[in-house]
Amino acid sequence: MSVTRRQFTAGAAAAGASTVSFPLPAIAQSEPIRLGWLAAMTGPSSAPAIGFNRGVVWAAEQINAAGGVKGRKIEVITRDTQGDPTKAVNATQEMISALKVHAIWGPTNSGESLAVTPIMARAKMPNIHPCVVDSLIDTTKFPNAFRLAPSNTQWDDAVRGYCLKIVGAKKVAIIGDTTGYGVAAVNASAAGFAKDGGEVVYKANIDATQPDMTPDLLRARNAGAQAIVVWSTSTGMDARLFNTRATMGWDVPFVGHPSMSSGEIAGLVDKPANWEKVYAIGYRSCSYGDDGKLPPRNRELVEKLRGKVNLQDTLLWWVAGGIDAVNLVAQAVDLGGSSPDNIIKVWNGLQKYPGYFGDYTFTTTEHNGYPTEDVVMSAASTAKDGSFKLAPGYKG
Amino acid sequence: MLASILASGLAVGAIYALIGVAYNTMFSASRVMSFTAGQLGMLGGVLGSLFVLRLGMPYLVGLVLTLAACAVVGVITEVVTVRPVLKSLDQHLYVLSTLALALMIQHAVAVQWSTEPHPFPRLFGPATGGITDEKFWLPIVACILTIAALEFLYRHTLVGRAFLAIAEDNFAARALGLPERDLRIASYALAGMIGALAGFAGGALLLAFVANGPLLNFYGFVPVALGGLGNNRGAIVGGFALGIFQQAANFLVGGIFSSVAVFVLFIIVLLVAPQGLFGAPATRRV
Repeated sequence: MSVTRRQFTAGAAAAGASTVSFPLPAIAQSEPIRLGWLAAMTGPSSAPAIGFNRGVVWAAEQINAAGGVKGRKIEVITRDTQGDPTKAVNATQEMISALKVHAIWGPTNSGESLAVTPIMARAKMPNIHPCVVDSLIDTTKFPNAFRLAPSNTQWDDAVRGYCLKIVGAKKVAIIGDTTGYGVAAVNASAAGFAKDGGEVVYKANIDATQPDMTPDLLRARNAGAQAIVVWSTSTGMDARLFNTRATMGWDVPFVGHPSMSSGEIAGLVDKPANWEKVYAIGYRSCSYGDDGKLPPRNRELVEKLRGKVNLQDTLLWWVAGGIDAVNLVAQAVDLGGSSPDNIIKVWNGLQKYPGYFGDYTFTTTEHNGYPTEDVVMSAASTAKDGSFKLAPGYKG
Repeated sequence: MLASILASGLAVGAIYALIGVAYNTMFSASRVMSFTAGQLGMLGGVLGSLFVLRLGMPYLVGLVLTLAACAVVGVITEVVTVRPVLKSLDQHLYVLSTLALALMIQHAVAVQWSTEPHPFPRLFGPATGGITDEKFWLPIVACILTIAALEFLYRHTLVGRAFLAIAEDNFAARALGLPERDLRIASYALAGMIGALAGFAGGALLLAFVANGPLLNFYGFVPVALGGLGNNRGAIVGGFALGIFQQAANFLVGGIFSSVAVFVLFIIVLLVAPQGLFGAPATRRV
């Protein structure tokens, strides 16, 4: 039988393909699970990433020490994006093209995430992140992107619910800074209050460097505000508002952005009492009640972390979120393998997955996985092991 | 409300006035508007907090070190950004060179210090919060002392008269044998100290905050333009007027619109008196 050149070439190609394709499953089953971690470890917005990173490192060590996921070790590949969207884009492209990671955790701030989410969507890269901007989650445009933390809307709902239902403040003043975030958050918050029957008696955006807050608080008081809702990331502005309230002898509660519970405020308030009656967004899983105890799952976690992970200069939810991110990837690989489609498929089917930060539920049409009812207000000045006391009015 | 407008307005106005004087001190010696003036004010607050709060130094030592460090920054400004462009003043390259240095200072502080505001030490006891609080009167006292010291320097010392001579006509001053370059360096060091004093005295009010740099650059320039370039008295009157007007606008129209009100007034004044309220009209020898 004669063999033509075309038959020989086809046969050789088939034989070659079969030769190189046989070992692949074996490699895939033993290679490490590469988790890309886009972390702003340095720069102005590094505090969350530093906290998340402690959880990521601890969780990866725990899994690897226990033998990995079906024998596969977790390899965390970190790139410091410095909070810079350009660096985040470069790191994302490196992770997708050169490092060939199986999933990406992060970035940790919305500016970077807005830049990299479409890139990851094009590459169908499983991505989980904690950024709050609503538009980052869209199951049609970004079916690969999942949110582990609450969205802006969930924050807004929690603040509004606390003011209207627990504090009983129907008349509120809403104050934000003059950043894009501050302006957008104030407008969204005002619309929400109006929709739910609240009355916004005063609304303002203030330059975060304005040294005296008396004019705005006087106007709010004269308008009859029963609570002040604050949407700003500026701790200086927060502290000035608290100091001015004390000078005016006014006892109106402040409710709003988590920055109001930042440890830096302790040094900026004229006296510790000025920081009382301030309720910042927090999370039930990372809040302690009147008995000083966290929920059982996180009480156990804090004990495990004691002496190994520093919680004094960070927030417990950051560390817990980092742990959950690694565990979610590990869980997906354990149940479905490490291909992108499998990871996304497993995440889409999670129902109340018991994480340390929250119980996550994802479906094919909802990638905001954090339960809204677990977004609560915390007493801002009560930090202990990175957690806060539940604000008054909640059942512990 | 009036007491609050006056207390806060005069305090902020005193800081603006001092930054205006720092602008003028550099301008008089070199005919250059150095946009590092606001950064000197920011550094005064940040370094004061660093030396006194973080490193635990006594206030006086912290103040002296802050003034010295900012004097060095002033000298660096002269050497790096002013001297190379003096020969082509008409091309206004100093705008770029001084702005570039200002940005470098801003970013270096942001990286090394923080982008968040930090507390500034209380020099005279805990905060009272009211209008008698040191954060309101200390910048005014610092401004008055600076004015008195500058008046003494310019009117009663030989060095001060030499400063005035190069400000008046540096070619004639050089012809008379005055060391123009050394005097210019000294002026920049002096401006550094004035800016530092503004930030140190205003630290309790503005906090040790990197964002104060652009703020003071901007609002410190307004009294200079209002009062007339190189005119310290104009800058001081302009600074206090700006502070009170800004605070009154905060009360009457709200924070976000007060900046608009300030710049509407600024434009009106410059339309009516382009040389500034206290500046002499430009004359041309024919």
